[in-house]
Amino acid sequence: MADATMGAPGAGARPGLFLRNATGLVKSWSTFDAFVYSFWSVNLITLGLYGMSYAYTVPDGQVVAAILLFGLLVTFLVITYAMLVSVMPRTGGDYAWQSRVLGGGLGFVLSITGWWFTLFLWAPIYANILVVQFFSPLAYTLGWTGVATFFTSQTGIFVSCLIVLAFVSIVVTMGMETYARIQKICFWIGIAGLVVVCALLLFASPQDFQNAFNREATTLFNAKPGAYQATIDAASKTFPGSSFGTLSFGPLLLLLPWLAFYLLWPNWGATLYGEVRGAKDIRKPFWSMFAGLWVTVAMVVVVVLLIDKTIGWNFYQSANAAYWNNLFAVQGNVAPPVPIWPYPVMFAGFLVNNHLFQALLIIVMGLWFFGWAGTLFLSSTRVIFAAAFDRVLPSWAANISAKRRVPYGALVLMIVPSIVISAIYAYKPSFTSVFLDATAVLALTFFATTVAAIILPWRRKDLYQASPIANYKIAGIPTITVVGVITGLFLLFMLWEWSFNSADLYGTTFSSTPNSVYYFLATYVVAVVIYVVARVVRKRQGIDLDRIHHEIPVE
Amino acid sequence: MPKIFFATDLHGSEMCWRKFLNAGKFYDADILICGGDMTGKAIVPIVQENGHYTVTLGGETQSVEAGQVADVEAQIRRKGYYPLQMSVERLHELDQNPAKRTETFQQVMLDGVDRWMGMAAEKLRGTGIRIFVCPGNDDEMEVDDVIRRSDVVELGEGRVVEIDGWSMISTGWSNHTPWNTHREETEEKLGERIEAMASKLPDASKAIFNLHCPPFKSGLDEAPAIDADLRLLHGGRALRPVGSTAVREAIERHQPLISLHGHIHESKGAVKIGKTLSINPGSSYEEGMLMGAIVQLDAKKGIKSYQLVNG
Repeated sequence: MADATMGAPGAGARPGLFLRNATGLVKSWSTFDAFVYSFWSVNLITLGLYGMSYAYTVPDGQVVAAILLFGLLVTFLVITYAMLVSVMPRTGGDYAWQSRVLGGGLGFVLSITGWWFTLFLWAPIYANILVVQFFSPLAYTLGWTGVATFFTSQTGIFVSCLIVLAFVSIVVTMGMETYARIQKICFWIGIAGLVVVCALLLFASPQDFQNAFNREATTLFNAKPGAYQATIDAASKTFPGSSFGTLSFGPLLLLLPWLAFYLLWPNWGATLYGEVRGAKDIRKPFWSMFAGLWVTVAMVVVVVLLIDKTIGWNFYQSANAAYWNNLFAVQGNVAPPVPIWPYPVMFAGFLVNNHLFQALLIIVMGLWFFGWAGTLFLSSTRVIFAAAFDRVLPSWAANISAKRRVPYGALVLMIVPSIVISAIYAYKPSFTSVFLDATAVLALTFFATTVAAIILPWRRKDLYQASPIANYKIAGIPTITVVGVITGLFLLFMLWEWSFNSADLYGTTFSSTPNSVYYFLATYVVAVVIYVVARVVRKRQGIDLDRIHHEIPVE
Repeated sequence: MPKIFFATDLHGSEMCWRKFLNAGKFYDADILICGGDMTGKAIVPIVQENGHYTVTLGGETQSVEAGQVADVEAQIRRKGYYPLQMSVERLHELDQNPAKRTETFQQVMLDGVDRWMGMAAEKLRGTGIRIFVCPGNDDEMEVDDVIRRSDVVELGEGRVVEIDGWSMISTGWSNHTPWNTHREETEEKLGERIEAMASKLPDASKAIFNLHCPPFKSGLDEAPAIDADLRLLHGGRALRPVGSTAVREAIERHQPLISLHGHIHESKGAVKIGKTLSINPGSSYEEGMLMGAIVQLDAKKGIKSYQLVNG
């Protein structure tokens, strides 16, 4: 049955390995396929444009430089995760790594809060993005003002939340294979849409845009003539203006926590890489995540430069400032003449005086949402499964239906709380600050994983030494430790700024958002309670949870 | 009441086998069951030339002195590969001659299993711990003969064995795979094979089905989708059920107390199929981690408790 030989790099034509025919010996996955997933995770249109619309809070921050710096720093995160995947390539991602290195209890609490409880908060965030990038601009463009207004109402936001949750449930039900096909279609059509947007911005002049904006502001939103300048004037009451050319290091650093909203997630699929053979080869997961990150960085730099060139950076930031400051009722704010989130895609569409074209462009660019949002709960499902298999959660949490293979237990655990959280988001404006912390809590989960990576060579010497990365060292120190320390410092900086920024730039400081502090403390307490109860219950059943990750002696 | 430790798909990892033999004492288990696919998938040549030895492991080629060869061999075995010292001429012969490769593979595999049987005898003789092994679809048929010669390890394949009042049936045969391995057959024949054993069970509710292949669409059988060229599809994210319908039907029909499976390393889990608890502990043999299941049986409850562990 022996039927294959494998050459050894550097050893000429000599085979370094003889393989026999055996189950599971597959050829590796296409890096491009994995890249598509990573690329969606740092989605430059949905999360990217939404997150960057808050950059006006740092008027002196140079966005392009900040994006490049962020890309560089997140590359260390990518290396850290790729190395962890190659050491422990089994499913569960953060949960498995933290549990095996930091201990079962700590691993459960940190990863379950990040990958389960915090993702409840992302459903409304996704819903809000769906409203501001799809429903609302599309409805306004088609002249359906009533529909547009409805989706900006509390009930409209809640309905959008339910649409997102229904969509995510359908994706989980149809399975990843079908959705992966849909993602690829969305990818190519979405890229084509982006090319059109970029071309429109590239070939139009600033004056063309001002004229187009003024025209559509009047036609679609009944604004008075001169809406372009009126937008800048409205923002000027609460916003000092922004210059694209300003470059100073301090403000640049302050932009990083905003960019984290979309650029911190190239490792989103790390919980999945572990499921596939070939993951032990560090190059595949690394290049998949790295390419997803840097292609996005390159694209977003192009988009930002084009926004500056044609739309005007000060106008774009003024429009963002006017919109958000009006929404958050900042003292002294004046409502902008165009009462809609400043969507650069819609603005680019204005350059063509045809509402059907504009609507089509919004629909096409909407595929950036539908090709991405379906995986919202995919990683959460894996973490819930892993915890259920470890008997920390009840076994029904990992149940799947026999006919359609739907993980209904995990879905219920995600969907039901998400509906409750969505209702709170929609109908309790005072609770909104909690949602701004959604990024920070995931960053905290990543930080815990990074700590696990830093100490891995000593805490799990056996696993480390058996791994492909055991020989990677910098000045005698394991590379995973070095890159882990850099990643950890980067994450700590952002966690500090989110929690303690003196100007409360991000709306998330402990002192200004006690609701958030109570909410997240409560989630950690709930996670601890679940773990402690599980320990007690399982002990009565004769199951010792400590035993899960205890290594059996070899000799 | 007996406590079972079940692990599977060790694929030649000597570290996992050593851990498996120690699992009885470590988990206080009375019965050790190895679910199949014991043998490794690859030979790593250690080429002797000019007074030193050259070996390629993990993509890196290194040259070692004679005194270091034992350490290198241990490192290779730990990963589940077979180290084999050879001359440059032998290396080229194996490279060029598929029949020679097949013959060499069989020899190193059988030597490896024989070596493992010796380790089991040394470790478990006189301890009162029973150890069952049932070769899987990746194990050549000759492996059974090596196991039969052991006076400590019991071969499970194709028979009903009694375990302190419970009965166990075992088979390492599977439905067809894209790799056309040693113990594959149609669903119909696999069903007949299982039925031939199951029909002899005195009480199915006190039975253990040790069937290498997991039941179809159980969640224990989800493997990454591949194309005809064995290339992973959709970045490896797309999973497909590849288990056996015959195994599922046998479980649904007889409703044994518990069914133990392997075969699909990524599909770790424990699910209920009717009254049956079906378990696939997964396999992480390349890391040297022994993934297993501890099952405490109980005269009244049937299963008092179960736990999946990464030992």
